[in-house]
Amino acid sequence: MMVAFLTLLERECRRFMKVIVQTVVTPFVSSFLYLLVFGVSLGAAVELKNGVPYLSFLVPGLMMMALINNSFQNSSSSIVSSKFSGDIEDLAVVPLTDNQIIWALGLGALLRGVLVALVTLAVGEVFHDQQLGVWLPVAHPLYLLYFTLVGGLLFAFLGISVAFWSKGFEHLSAFSSFVLLPLTYLGGVFISVESLSPFWQQVSRLNPLLYLINGFRYGMLGVSDVEITQSLLVSFLGLLVFYVMARISLSRGSFQRW
Amino acid sequence: MTQPTTFPLEVIDLKKNYGSFEAVRGLSFEVRAGEVFGLLGPNGAGKTTTISIVTTLEQATSGQVRVFGIDVAKNPLLVKRQFGVVHQEIINSGFFTVEELLQFQSGYHGLRRNGERIRYLLNKLGLYEHRDKRVKQLSGGMKRRLMIAKALVHSPRLLLLDEPTAGVDITLRENLWDFVRDLKREGIAVLLTTHYLEEAELLCDRVGIVNRGRLEAIGETSRIVHQFARKKVILDTRSSGRKEIFAPIEKPLGDILRDAGVDPMDLRDIQVEQGRLEDAFRRLLTGDKAAPAEGAKA
Ligand SMILES: Nc1ncnc2c1ncn2[C@@H]1O[C@H](COP(=O)(O)OP(=O)(O)OP(=O)(O)O)[C@@H](O)[C@H]1O
Ligand SMILES: [Mg+2]
Repeated sequence: MMVAFLTLLERECRRFMKVIVQTVVTPFVSSFLYLLVFGVSLGAAVELKNGVPYLSFLVPGLMMMALINNSFQNSSSSIVSSKFSGDIEDLAVVPLTDNQIIWALGLGALLRGVLVALVTLAVGEVFHDQQLGVWLPVAHPLYLLYFTLVGGLLFAFLGISVAFWSKGFEHLSAFSSFVLLPLTYLGGVFISVESLSPFWQQVSRLNPLLYLINGFRYGMLGVSDVEITQSLLVSFLGLLVFYVMARISLSRGSFQRW
Repeated sequence: MTQPTTFPLEVIDLKKNYGSFEAVRGLSFEVRAGEVFGLLGPNGAGKTTTISIVTTLEQATSGQVRVFGIDVAKNPLLVKRQFGVVHQEIINSGFFTVEELLQFQSGYHGLRRNGERIRYLLNKLGLYEHRDKRVKQLSGGMKRRLMIAKALVHSPRLLLLDEPTAGVDITLRENLWDFVRDLKREGIAVLLTTHYLEEAELLCDRVGIVNRGRLEAIGETSRIVHQFARKKVILDTRSSGRKEIFAPIEKPLGDILRDAGVDPMDLRDIQVEQGRLEDAFRRLLTGDKAAPAEGAKA
């Protein structure tokens, strides 16, 4: 029972380890660019209400963005490429339960997300030390851990659902660019929602990502646009919802190859 | 609950609709331990659909499938441990090597250290020297063999082979036949679909012939041949040249000649081709099985 689960988890990890250079170099370059353009150049002109330097504000946002994007990417592309090559059928005819499949894919995706978030952190720390002369501290390690786990898994589960329902690569990329991307950008990665007009602040509160990003930021900096208990609750609820969604899509969705 | 005989595979009045289209319309057959059962039929007959229901990829509309007595619909997880399957379509998984894929497959079946079995299969299927290649680097026939190896890592007692020899060259096909005979000797039950009827005739103890989702005939291969095929007698006579006569298999040669009005002294040469499964198959499907099995063609 356990062996089957661990094997699938191992496969998921080996899959991204095969492209480890790409896994690590891409976020290295992109976080470098984000930090250079937004953190350093634009950041000098940004004044935040609570007095936090913009660079400190940006780093946890970028980390969370890296985490959820990569978790989503990893689980969804695993399924989508299996559908393309046909080995999705293999998964359906071996003695694995839906639950095992979801958790193995979820944890594999989470690990990839964490890896990329750590690369982002490393680049961020170098910038932080360069610009402000101090390392970026971690205010609440347990909160940080919580939001890392919940955020990564939540988006891994979402990736599973979307991939199971999608009928082609274009469905997946449409979802990424029309749903995921706007939500991340409007979820407070780059800006504090407090700088928005009251109307848009209300709209932002409907974005589940806001709670994850701010919770994570609270774990790192000790400040957040959203009340922390609210963040904890909303993200946990989100995790449950997306887990159930993944279960449904596995039992109803298609194991047919494309 | 306890049955006197539990067959490796039992299909009972199986039906499958895709929307309003009836792909399988009441199939019943069983595969017995240590036998090779051939599920034969033209394209679209419902062979793959039937196998997909056994492997839980598809759900039956009605009817039952039991693997070693276990209902596929009720306990899919348990059933999945019992069989190995080679799908009709080639699988192309891009990331991993042959050996890695076999290790993963073993792992899914709960076998962590399965090196010996994997090595045995790699050797047996002529894949040992290709074990470090990725699937993409294999030829079509090698991919097919890899799929067979994957189906066998956990030593299943029931093997489902959906056209395993399609696109495989003749030497390799013969190797596979030997391999299937070995499996049979080990007591493994094999369900085989194929469009090569000589292959079916050679390998299968029993065959079922399906057409449009229905079983047209089922039984021991030799019986099916006997029942539906004709023998072909090719005559070369001095007076009227070559002549082909079809006749029921059990009809004595003397009677055939007499009925055809051929004087044995007039014969230059005579050849008799025994009935073939292919003939039985064709006659079953074209529906002229009711017509007399006799006839002459010049
Ligand atoms: N997913 C599906 N949706 C709708 N119709 C389907 C589906 N799968 C199969 N069919 C139809 O069901 C019928 C049986 O198909 P099946 O694949 O079982 O045939 P087969 O006997 O395996 O044929 P072949 O020898 O060509 O492999 C065909 O008419 C096919 O078009
Ligand atoms: Mg088929």
